[in-house]
Amino acid sequence: MFTRILVANRGEIAVRILRTCRVMGIETVAVYSDADARALHVTLADQAVRIGGAAPAESYLSQTAILEAARATGAQAVHPGYGFLSENDAFAAACATAGLTFIGPSPDAMAKLGSKTAARRLAEAAGVPVVPGAVPDDQSDAALIAAATQVGFPVLLKPSEGGGGIGMKAVHAAADLPGAIAQARREADAAFGDGTLYVERLVTKPRHVEFQVLGDRHGTVVHLFERECSIQRRHQKVLEETPSTAVTPALRARMGAAAVALAKAAGYSNAGTVEFLVEGTGDRASFYFLEMNARLQVEHPITEAVTGVDLVRAQIEVAAGRPVPWTQEQLTQRGHAIEVRVCAEDPRQGFLPQAGVLALYREPAMPGVRVDSGVYEGGEVSVHYDSLLAKLVAWGETREAARLRAREALAHYPILGIRTNVPLLMRLLTHDRFVAGDLDTHFLDTEAASLIPADDSPTADARAVAAIVRRGGSGVTATAADTSWDPWASLGGRRV
Amino acid sequence: MSDRTGDLSRAESRETTITPLGAGRFLLSRDGRQRVAYAAQAGGATWVFLDGEVTVIALAPARAIAADEHASLAAPMPATVVAIAVQPGQKVAAGDVLIRLEAMKMELPVRSPRDATVVAVKCREGELVQPGVPLLELDEA
Repeated sequence: MFTRILVANRGEIAVRILRTCRVMGIETVAVYSDADARALHVTLADQAVRIGGAAPAESYLSQTAILEAARATGAQAVHPGYGFLSENDAFAAACATAGLTFIGPSPDAMAKLGSKTAARRLAEAAGVPVVPGAVPDDQSDAALIAAATQVGFPVLLKPSEGGGGIGMKAVHAAADLPGAIAQARREADAAFGDGTLYVERLVTKPRHVEFQVLGDRHGTVVHLFERECSIQRRHQKVLEETPSTAVTPALRARMGAAAVALAKAAGYSNAGTVEFLVEGTGDRASFYFLEMNARLQVEHPITEAVTGVDLVRAQIEVAAGRPVPWTQEQLTQRGHAIEVRVCAEDPRQGFLPQAGVLALYREPAMPGVRVDSGVYEGGEVSVHYDSLLAKLVAWGETREAARLRAREALAHYPILGIRTNVPLLMRLLTHDRFVAGDLDTHFLDTEAASLIPADDSPTADARAVAAIVRRGGSGVTATAADTSWDPWASLGGRRV
Repeated sequence: MSDRTGDLSRAESRETTITPLGAGRFLLSRDGRQRVAYAAQAGGATWVFLDGEVTVIALAPARAIAADEHASLAAPMPATVVAIAVQPGQKVAAGDVLIRLEAMKMELPVRSPRDATVVAVKCREGELVQPGVPLLELDEA
């Protein structure tokens, strides 16, 4: 087993990985950019190494800087988290060359799955159904337009590399293609350094259901059931739950077997997620392979909640050469879990990302609720990274019990100083269609009017509290310019 | 603040008892029912969290509508300029993308609020720009 692991990431996922390493008695090395010198993940590690400037390309995406940090600290393994270098097969190979274990799949399996085109061919060969689509070898506008016409509108343009919804565009008519191609290509190139595009048929009213898999280096692959991720905005997940209300036991068995078959065909080891689109409901619903994410997913905690396992621990064990810690038969789903992603964004301004100081930030603590976060009160949310502040995961014996716990926890999750989507998540959790489990990937767009009310005029109670704070009552204060501000220092001796 | 706002605030605070609990927490009590609110001052506004809803009350009245056109030619948040689509002297139509910004992995297009001619470009590609600072100037409407 490793005695020292470097975590090549930041934010909540770095914190989450560091915590499991500490529990396993493994020393930890954090890396950080100039923007993150005081970040939570830095303070939780045994050692921390500065790796460069605030821009991701200068730090969290710098293979040279991270490998040097691993060498200098004597780390034996690197956990990449998600995003950044997690699905970069060249980085995985560079780790191996440097004598480091990359905690993830082999570079070969990543290369096979990292490209959507290669992954599709692999799925077809393994007998896993796929959505009709094409990746033209000729990437000219004319060839892409021809491919889209052949697939049939509406189509979805996707970057061949990468994921997370970045650069994906739904196009409903041929006339809109040239503009969409240019924008998708630019965003793909900016995010992944590769502008290759892929065209597929847009499945209408689809549900997004994914399967967690874990493989070891001895050829064993198990699945840990599904996650329903249909609540999305611009292809970014907002709320995930497990089990899916669309998946019957018979469908679960078919999809689980398909996920395992695909992972085995790729020679996959470590944690991965096989994404499917589901059309229809019941035992006879259709499912199509979308892509395989060769990493730990953001939403992995809901799987941990219903199966009772620690996926990061399992990742570390199989990376060290040990077998998958459970048989398929030992894995069961108990109860229901819901995750909501708490993001620094303003739903009223088109979900514009928000940056600034968290003047007040208090996480809820109650039975059945877990909060994975990478921030703290008084800390600054930087413009350089994505807007995910925390994930709130609620478990309950039933879906309804989990839903009510999630709602209660959000009602006690004050975040002030920057706008977040907490009010939107509250309304989402009480929406009639969500309560009924009637979901599809267009849910947030379709229901936007009721989820983002136009009227945000202050209530009389809120105004009254604000008036007390302004008169010098015991509110806490912060300014965006003062990042060294300490909330506790300002509280002493205040009387009202 | 209007008189109406002030009256409501006073009326409400007569009925709702608000007890500061320290550390930004407040106990609201009304007709025997209790709730906890959280409040903080940040960015020239007072922020209140109550029952999962957030209220932001600006300390100064919002700026006049005339400022709106300028605002649309500034970054809405700290962002990086990824592309400048226009040059000084160029005629643009309402809705044309003038500048593309990127922040937190999102592309934010800055569009022309009206038909106009570009007078000056006040940023460069790759530059990190701050909210409210003009990115370019259009001629008078």
